[in-house]
Amino acid sequence: MAHKEEDVKSESILSRQLSRRSVLKAGLAGAAGLSVAPFLDACSTFSSSSSSGSTNKIVIGTFQDNAMVPFRDVFVKRFQSETGIKVQYNETNYDAWYQNSKNDGLHKTGAYDIYVMDDNWVPEFAAGKVIQSLDKLGFKVNPDILANGLNQGYWPPKTGAKMKAFANAQPELYAIVIIDDVEILYYNKQYFDGAPKTWDDIAQAAQSKSKPPSLYGWSARGVKGNPIVQTYLPLLNSYGGNFVNQDWSPGFAGPEGVAALERLFSFIPYMPSGSAEFDTDQEVQVLLQGQCMALTEYTGLTHQVDDPAASKVSGQINMAATPSQEKSGPAIGTFICGIASGAPNPQGAKKFLEWFTSSPVQIDFAKTNGSAAVTGSALTDKTISSQYRWLPAIADAVNNSVAKPHTPDEPKFEDILGTRLNEALVQALSKKSGYRSIASQKLTQAANEITAYLKQQGGYF
Amino acid sequence: MVTAGAARPRPRRRRAAFIAGPHVLLVPAAIALAAVSVYPLAYGIVASLRQYRYGLDMGFAGADNYLNVLQDATFLTALGTTAKYVVLCVLIETLLGLGLALLVNRQLVGTGLWRIGIILPMTVAPVVVGVMWRLIYASDIGIADPVLGLLGVHGVHVLGGESSAFLGVVLLDVWEWTPLMFLILLAGLQTIPQEPLEAAVMDGASALRVFFDHVLPMLRPVLFVAIVLRTIDALGTFDQVYVLTRGGPGVSTQLFSIYAYNTAFLFTQEGRAMAMVVLLLAAVLVLAGIAIRLVRLGPGTR
Repeated sequence: MAHKEEDVKSESILSRQLSRRSVLKAGLAGAAGLSVAPFLDACSTFSSSSSSGSTNKIVIGTFQDNAMVPFRDVFVKRFQSETGIKVQYNETNYDAWYQNSKNDGLHKTGAYDIYVMDDNWVPEFAAGKVIQSLDKLGFKVNPDILANGLNQGYWPPKTGAKMKAFANAQPELYAIVIIDDVEILYYNKQYFDGAPKTWDDIAQAAQSKSKPPSLYGWSARGVKGNPIVQTYLPLLNSYGGNFVNQDWSPGFAGPEGVAALERLFSFIPYMPSGSAEFDTDQEVQVLLQGQCMALTEYTGLTHQVDDPAASKVSGQINMAATPSQEKSGPAIGTFICGIASGAPNPQGAKKFLEWFTSSPVQIDFAKTNGSAAVTGSALTDKTISSQYRWLPAIADAVNNSVAKPHTPDEPKFEDILGTRLNEALVQALSKKSGYRSIASQKLTQAANEITAYLKQQGGYF
Repeated sequence: MVTAGAARPRPRRRRAAFIAGPHVLLVPAAIALAAVSVYPLAYGIVASLRQYRYGLDMGFAGADNYLNVLQDATFLTALGTTAKYVVLCVLIETLLGLGLALLVNRQLVGTGLWRIGIILPMTVAPVVVGVMWRLIYASDIGIADPVLGLLGVHGVHVLGGESSAFLGVVLLDVWEWTPLMFLILLAGLQTIPQEPLEAAVMDGASALRVFFDHVLPMLRPVLFVAIVLRTIDALGTFDQVYVLTRGGPGVSTQLFSIYAYNTAFLFTQEGRAMAMVVLLLAAVLVLAGIAIRLVRLGPGTR
């Protein structure tokens, strides 16, 4: 009997569980849950992000980079203790951060107050109102900041070619430089009598002293796109060429650009034979292993050259401005900060950026591992320079630096030029002759492609 | 007078409920499918008809994105490279996968171990595969150059030359995805009835004849499905090639997917990138349609 009762009970439970009505109910509830879940999630994100609307808190978003370590570990904390404003610091990888920050600014989500950016994001972020005008927020610019670094934050640009839609607009400051990252020359002092001044000096030293593969005269990034463009730009600028001219016509396919690329090819006998596939890590390794006499690279390398764990030639590498031919013209690529268009606490963000770019704080920043400060007083301070010998070279390089074209289409320019430069290098490495013709043909091809792209895009000519 | 039958629903209502019931039950799944699949697809098609600049939607662009894409020489080159890549990879993987499946199907000693060993590459994430092969091919620290040197081929840097980089990328794909072909074809081989094969052998047919006249026709539907699946998958190859070469040297390994990614996320031409993706989707649908038709018409399906 008891068994029977149990059977009836379990049967009724089963039928209750499997009745069409209950399945339908559960299904509808599930569907409702599914459709509501994203909204709930969004609401919870919104409420947590809008909690940063407090004047006692700012949120900084950034990409990961070793150069940002002192900023994160020392100065963010110091600002908190000095002002009582809490700083939340979120970092992710470069590509993800570019997308996150752009989406946050476009939709005014309010998840961040400050975006740490690469300087070539500024045209798109300023034109698209992802970030807000610092001038309109009443930002006080420290006059001690080096002009070429500061100019990276203006939109429309203060100098260089301007897009037609912005030709008559007054330049406004949209972002403020926080790290003056610039290309400098790294050379092993064992093989040079003082800093090489011209590319000819390096070529002569490479010819007379290098013994590949145990000692290369030169190392370069040859991978397509941004890496090989970074190799080429200091050469192009120093030979008197331009990435683009004032009228947006490419300025690298003329005799200056061809001569600059020929100069790079003239190093081929003294370069690693796999240079066409070299990016920063491989390019730099040959220098740090003591197998290379010189190269140009951004300032991040300064933190490795004296580290015995990373370098076999610790203490032997010196730094200088990139070599000249007609002039010195290193490429500049600053770390720069903008205030989000939907920032919950723009005044707190402004306060932080004014504080960090002030002269006393920048002096302390330079003292922390010889970081690439943005003020003249910090970079040229004799006491600090005696400890961090690259700082005057950075100041020199920033003052001579040539900015890349200020347009949201700059990555496309770089991709086109970088692809053709890489093809030219591959050909030159395999043929080992006919450099001028290879250079001329590939640079003309790149120039034609860029012009065609600009015409298709509109707004340039 | 109340009868027992009056308390029950009328037959017409019951029939209507019977017909509507399953459809109502499908509603939650349909909503979920629409949210995660149909909406993004429709959004993508709409985006391909709009112009974006500075991250902003600048309005309806008509067919401009499609026209620009079809006039873009780099896009057409990427399409050609992708076609070459897919044909080469799928062909090699099919032949190798079939060969390996035939071998393992013979119940050799340690079949289980062979099977595990063969499918192992497929289980590694494509990004990890890309990093791994980059280390193998690297001219400074990799083992590819010394091995080629031992074989008498000197001065070849796999990633430093246009043809060698392309072949290097194909080799990576073959290493990673031959196991998938192997697995599908092995499953197909194991479903083939043995009686006709034994009868053919008894009639004096050679092994090759048995294979071409019996095994291959019976395997044909599975073979087609495997080729179609692998072709569709290979058309979307991105991770490992992006990690390995970023499309270089030059444009020699710039597959369609890499160019579309760069167009969307590097050049911020979202509309144009979506036009590329829609064009590829159309091509895949046509390809899949043809393949399905071939399978239906095939003798193996009778």
